[in-house]
Amino acid sequence: MIRTLGLAFTLAAALPAAAHDLRVFASVTGDTVTVESKFSTGRIPNAGEVRVLDASDTLVMTLPLGEDGVTTFALPDGAADGGLMIEVDVSEGHSDYWLLTPDDIAHGQGTN
Amino acid sequence: MLKRLVVLVALAASPLAAQDKPVVAAVNYPLAWMAERLGGDAVEVLFPVPADRDPSFWRPGLSDISAIQAADVIALNGAGFAGWTTRTSLPRSRIVDTSAGFSDDYISTDSITHSHGADGEHSHTGTASYTWLDFGQAARQAEALAGMMQRRIPGSGDAVVSALPGLVADLEALDSHARDTLAPLQGTAMIATHPRYQYFARAYGLQIAALDWDAGAMPDADQWDALQALTDETGAQTLIWEAAPPQEALAQAEGMGLRSVVFAPLAVRPETGEFQGVMRGQIDALAQGE
Repeated sequence: MIRTLGLAFTLAAALPAAAHDLRVFASVTGDTVTVESKFSTGRIPNAGEVRVLDASDTLVMTLPLGEDGVTTFALPDGAADGGLMIEVDVSEGHSDYWLLTPDDIAHGQGTN
Repeated sequence: MLKRLVVLVALAASPLAAQDKPVVAAVNYPLAWMAERLGGDAVEVLFPVPADRDPSFWRPGLSDISAIQAADVIALNGAGFAGWTTRTSLPRSRIVDTSAGFSDDYISTDSITHSHGADGEHSHTGTASYTWLDFGQAARQAEALAGMMQRRIPGSGDAVVSALPGLVADLEALDSHARDTLAPLQGTAMIATHPRYQYFARAYGLQIAALDWDAGAMPDADQWDALQALTDETGAQTLIWEAAPPQEALAQAEGMGLRSVVFAPLAVRPETGEFQGVMRGQIDALAQGE
């Protein structure tokens, strides 16, 4: 393990390496939820999966990541009351999530 | 735990009740402790992370986030602590990043480099986030929190102004105590079971190499091998545990010639005692035997 870590540190020191992490952001406009996914470098992931869960952690739907990193779907019934957890896994091994609370959804719907 | 649950239920069930007392939400126990010291009985401190979860990596539920969004002050640690804070909408006007004032002094952590996808070779670097283990920095965090509480909680100004000097003095006394008590350990190699102690080591002149073990768990054979290799490499004779391990782990470490010391970073609330007293006891325990 030490050797592995040592190798990783050596590689990190020896090679020009760009840091990147997946960034996920979700918002609501009217009755539509928009999920945007991209790497911190600005690059759009090649492919991936968007999972939508409700406030009790129950999977509501699974959607493919859009070609431009954007996925939209209709606000599920009940989401305005409990909120939504949106998880994104991309094929390149990164994942991230965004939490939409009832307040966020109400704001997006113009009701607060 | 039960008390926190009751607070959460009360907040969720009765918005009016929640408005009776201003709420300060904190992402870790040190900030919750500071808010309690600063606000006293006049504020409700919300620290919803379960006792068995690591606040650094805790993912809140939607009800947790809703309660936090409604708080009058949201105390962030900064330095990348609590990743969830960047994965939801928080009201900017009520947020205080308590370590922003010394962000130039953040410690970068080692990177892990790997390759996949179109980005080729890339790294995941980070920032050491347990800033409060430099107790001088913790005092600065208390000052930042106090400033925000004064601005955002009408009527709290006098109480906070009264409480702040005592809190800062206690943290600076802890800083002095650590500096004096740990001085004999300077230059002595130690090993920690988790990379939590970067600011602690820097502040008090310690050499702490770190493994990456799960808190409180019995290490497996590979992990013991890694410890042996690191012990051989550093000459360390002290092993710092983030949380109390099983007795057999302590015995095995002792068999390797290592003195075990449990030094909890206190990101979560201790079962007994409070921040200042527990930290002081841990500092004394670390210094014993040297």
